[in-house]
Amino acid sequence: MSDQRVFSRYKASEIRADLQNVELKKAKMNTLRRKAALKKIIANLTLGNYAEMIQLFPDILKFWKVEDDMEVKRICHEYTRTIGSIKPRSTVESMPNIMEDLKSHDEDLQIMALETLVNIPFTKFTEEAFNFIIGLVNRRSTSSRLLKTAIYSLLQLDDWDHERVMSLSNILYEIVEQHLESPSVQIAALKTLYTLHDKNKKLEPFSLSVDIAYNLLDIIPELNEWDTSSLLECLVVTVVPTTHSDAYEMINIALSQLQHVNTSVSLNALKFILYLINYVDEIDVSITERLSNSVVALLEKPSELQFLILRNIILLLLTREKPIIQVDVSYFFIEFNDPIYIKDTKLECLYLLANESTLPRILEELEQYSTDIDIQMSRKAVRAIGNLAVKLGDIAADNCVDTLLHLAEFGVDYVVQEIISVFKNILRKYPNRYRKELILFTKYMDCIQEPESKNAMIWIVSNYSEILHNYAELFDIFIADITDEPPEVQFSILNASVKLFVKSPSPHIENICMTLFKTFTEEVNNPDLRGRAFMYWKLLSMAKERPNLLNEDMLKDIVDGELPVIELNSKLDPVILEELELNIGSITSIYLKPTVQIFRQNKIKSLPQSPVLNANKNSLIITHSKQVVSDPIKRDSNHTSSSSLKDVPSTKGSRISTMGDYDRPAQKVNELKGKRKSSSDSPVKNLTRKPSLLIRKLSLKRNK
Amino acid sequence: MIGAVLVYSNRGELIVSKLYKTTLKRSVADIFRVQVINNQDIRSPILTLGSTTFHSIRSSSKDKLWLVTVSRNNCNSAAIWEFLYKLNDAMSIYGINSELTLMEDFMICHELLNVMLMPDGIPNDTDLASITSKMSSKPKESLQSADLYSNHNNTNNHNNKKILNTGNDAILGGTLPSPTTAIPKLLKRASTISPTSTNKDFIIKKNEIILQLIERINLLVSKDGSILKSYVDGVIECNSRMNGTPTSEITLNDIESTNKNNNNYHRRDTPENIFEMDNSSSDVVLQDFKFHQCVSFEEFDKDRIIQFAPPEGKIELMKYHIKDNLNLPFKITPIVSNTSTGAMDYRIKVKSLFPTKLSAKQVSLKIPVPPGTLDCKISVSNGHCQFVPEESSMIWTFNKYNGLTEDKLSAITVPTNEVTQLTLQQWQRPPLSLNFEILMFSNSGLKISNFNVADRNRKYRVAKWVKYVSQAGSYEIRY
Repeated sequence: MSDQRVFSRYKASEIRADLQNVELKKAKMNTLRRKAALKKIIANLTLGNYAEMIQLFPDILKFWKVEDDMEVKRICHEYTRTIGSIKPRSTVESMPNIMEDLKSHDEDLQIMALETLVNIPFTKFTEEAFNFIIGLVNRRSTSSRLLKTAIYSLLQLDDWDHERVMSLSNILYEIVEQHLESPSVQIAALKTLYTLHDKNKKLEPFSLSVDIAYNLLDIIPELNEWDTSSLLECLVVTVVPTTHSDAYEMINIALSQLQHVNTSVSLNALKFILYLINYVDEIDVSITERLSNSVVALLEKPSELQFLILRNIILLLLTREKPIIQVDVSYFFIEFNDPIYIKDTKLECLYLLANESTLPRILEELEQYSTDIDIQMSRKAVRAIGNLAVKLGDIAADNCVDTLLHLAEFGVDYVVQEIISVFKNILRKYPNRYRKELILFTKYMDCIQEPESKNAMIWIVSNYSEILHNYAELFDIFIADITDEPPEVQFSILNASVKLFVKSPSPHIENICMTLFKTFTEEVNNPDLRGRAFMYWKLLSMAKERPNLLNEDMLKDIVDGELPVIELNSKLDPVILEELELNIGSITSIYLKPTVQIFRQNKIKSLPQSPVLNANKNSLIITHSKQVVSDPIKRDSNHTSSSSLKDVPSTKGSRISTMGDYDRPAQKVNELKGKRKSSSDSPVKNLTRKPSLLIRKLSLKRNK
Repeated sequence: MIGAVLVYSNRGELIVSKLYKTTLKRSVADIFRVQVINNQDIRSPILTLGSTTFHSIRSSSKDKLWLVTVSRNNCNSAAIWEFLYKLNDAMSIYGINSELTLMEDFMICHELLNVMLMPDGIPNDTDLASITSKMSSKPKESLQSADLYSNHNNTNNHNNKKILNTGNDAILGGTLPSPTTAIPKLLKRASTISPTSTNKDFIIKKNEIILQLIERINLLVSKDGSILKSYVDGVIECNSRMNGTPTSEITLNDIESTNKNNNNYHRRDTPENIFEMDNSSSDVVLQDFKFHQCVSFEEFDKDRIIQFAPPEGKIELMKYHIKDNLNLPFKITPIVSNTSTGAMDYRIKVKSLFPTKLSAKQVSLKIPVPPGTLDCKISVSNGHCQFVPEESSMIWTFNKYNGLTEDKLSAITVPTNEVTQLTLQQWQRPPLSLNFEILMFSNSGLKISNFNVADRNRKYRVAKWVKYVSQAGSYEIRY
């Protein structure tokens, strides 16, 4: 195309030369060349070469006037926008050109000009943009694409002049309410209003009456995917059902959108339905099944979207005590090629889905992952097993501990360390259940290197000294080079040694304590540690010297008191959950954090009050009738949809099928013939092995 | 919504930047480059710094461009990623999905963004056929042959490339109205003509509509042969070239449709047994399905008839997901043990379970070997098996695998001296994975039981084709 690379830095003079050079000759080639030169300008702007490019402004203006070609126009506008966003004032001269384009009869050109006006943060431009938009909106006779552009432009202008944008809100309301010729404009107005209200904390939340909502839902068949998605998103929280039947009706309309290929439509439909479910007492099982199935179907999307869905599944599993979606655990089994973020999230899902019935399958999987090549992954899997033991109660814990012990035999350092770290938690939950097992861990003392596992082991040794007869030896290993340990290990060694001393005072331990006190108060330069050492020292000497003030029991209570039972709390605050459920599919649903924590500017969404609002989420009843939950009149005409799913015999849950179930006798069996032969891909290898052959081959060729 | 769209090369050179929010600084592009592209251990496709969020994907082309959006508030991630994938597709058909071509023709990308996004970065229209009609230039590649995400769907396959373009290359078979003979090359050419030619003056000589049921079966079998996971993700692709937009109707043989049809409809006699499938037609349960926007949802809810007015060109008419009663096409029985010398001994039996009349193509079994393997001594009853050191596995391939046939492999690895019993035990044994493609076989048993194209004009004639393709998604067996 061009003789030079487009994407490299040029000086203004070089490009100018290109442009002028072209003007001298008159040939068809000129346009191409000129375009190539103009493209270089945009490329340089992308590269950030503003200082040079700004000098070309007069040249751009010249071309703007002469050329009618759309691409040249596009380049001119893009140039003005870019320069305008950096130095708004310098572009004022282009104003007449922009206005001329705005008044042209070409719709594309008008849109381009409008976008340029909106994108330059300078009063003169925004002024014109407002005038044009107001004119358009009042006339309403223009093409829907232009009108849509104008309406959405208001969102950008809002950053510039909020008051003025809000003055148009009444007209926007009218557009939303009236059924105009173009439904897509209606949605544009709706979305703009919704976003304006959502962005601004001072404004009341945007709300729509149920009737308007019905009208809007009726136009869904005429909308494209993105408009449908916007509509469903905007209706959440803005329309408040006042009767149960309204809620059911709207659920029914939204249900079919769950089937949409576009993830955002499907998820927004899901969000809308979940929102409406707060306004009904009971819901048919067929609906929850449809919700679950649509979520599962989205899992075959590309990994980024899959990640989003998985995060939202976590959210859905957390929101109610009895989750509204039922998903089989096998969907969360990790595949070899899953990206790491998917693996992590699947692990979390597995953890949440675990209960007595699913545990065996999940444990088997987690055991697999624990031997994964990815160290992070295997650690997380081990940790998940430990957490499951704490979460699920003692019978399940037995299985988990068995698995952990089995994994420990595997003998890889980081796995063992991780196991010891989680085993501490298991012991805290079931203090007396695994006395036998913990002795087994003492043989892995050599593996322990990381602070966390060290801490865990120190705690285990000091807490179970009565059954570990060699505890003193074990303990000596830890204090071998105490000064080099990280502070958290030093702390736990100090605590543990004092604890041991109080539990069973022996000269050996007393010795250890004294050395520790000395080292920590004199050699180590950590004020906290020094303070702690002094405190213990004082405490022990006080117990010795003045037993009337501090007797042995009291001392034991202080040093080795009862620890609170450990609880793993995966539940989030119900208020946060409620808000997250209204934000399904958004960024916050990925981080699972309240919106204000990430976006301070945003409003907090909450369920609007209504006479039919269910205050308690868990009071929802899932009915097992075969009827669709809509009102009776509709039920007769509209045949039941997808409710018969549950009648179908399903292999799910009942029994794990095996490959054997699918066997069929083969009609032809090929038997092995010959010996095993060495095979390798590289011919070089073969050649080097048999140089004599190579020579023969070469000589044969020559003979021919 | 979307504050800016940025496209970088693989190494992080910014090629396209389009800003929608005036409050965003241009230097925002540098932040992403430093924080994500130059950062090796970033693990997530989303990054939020302060209140600025970056969503990113990599393009499906081999240059792996970075397509990134910047946004400032809590916007809809589903919409953003969905949009980025559509942008990827659009860039593919305009041939600007490689670094070189994009650097040359970046203005096309600007124009694409103009068409696809409204002010404030709100996605407006991402339907490829509709985009191409609004653009000033014609796409370089037709919608069918382009390297679209939808073709790429399956990242799990180890020899992905092979299955990519099967949609075009494979011969179309199994037509409903006419016999399978004489599938003209003309057809292939015809279907690749750009769909933008919605020119009304131009009359299409031969009306045709091609439906393809492409199924990917995913299977995970544990050591003891129990099936941990099995499901089919299918898509019905519709490729049509017809005068006018006549309404088409299809009915599937899933359980609900069958029930309904028995009640309300006289069932049309369809050639039931052409495909000789296992499942009696009544027990296919669609777990979930999603339709293209041209399908009328109401009609489907009422009668379970999929009624649609196909736009010209190729669309994904329906996507579905089936879990139960699958027809597994292959059974693999591995016996893998380690010998005292540190070698691994493999005895693997592969058996095809589909009918003898059919055959599978591109069958390859990937058999991982432990690290430190120098060579493998292999004997196979059929096909060809090679040790590929780069993938540290043996690849056993068949050009053609007939139905109901059993084949065996026996192999032993030649390890280096450093390989010990312990390292073998610690080897994490990635699963065996099988790849294949079978024409005219349905993994799920789903069939199109009725297919009609109707127009007001009675004389309307149209050639209807239906093709079934079963492929491996991730078909994995642990041992």
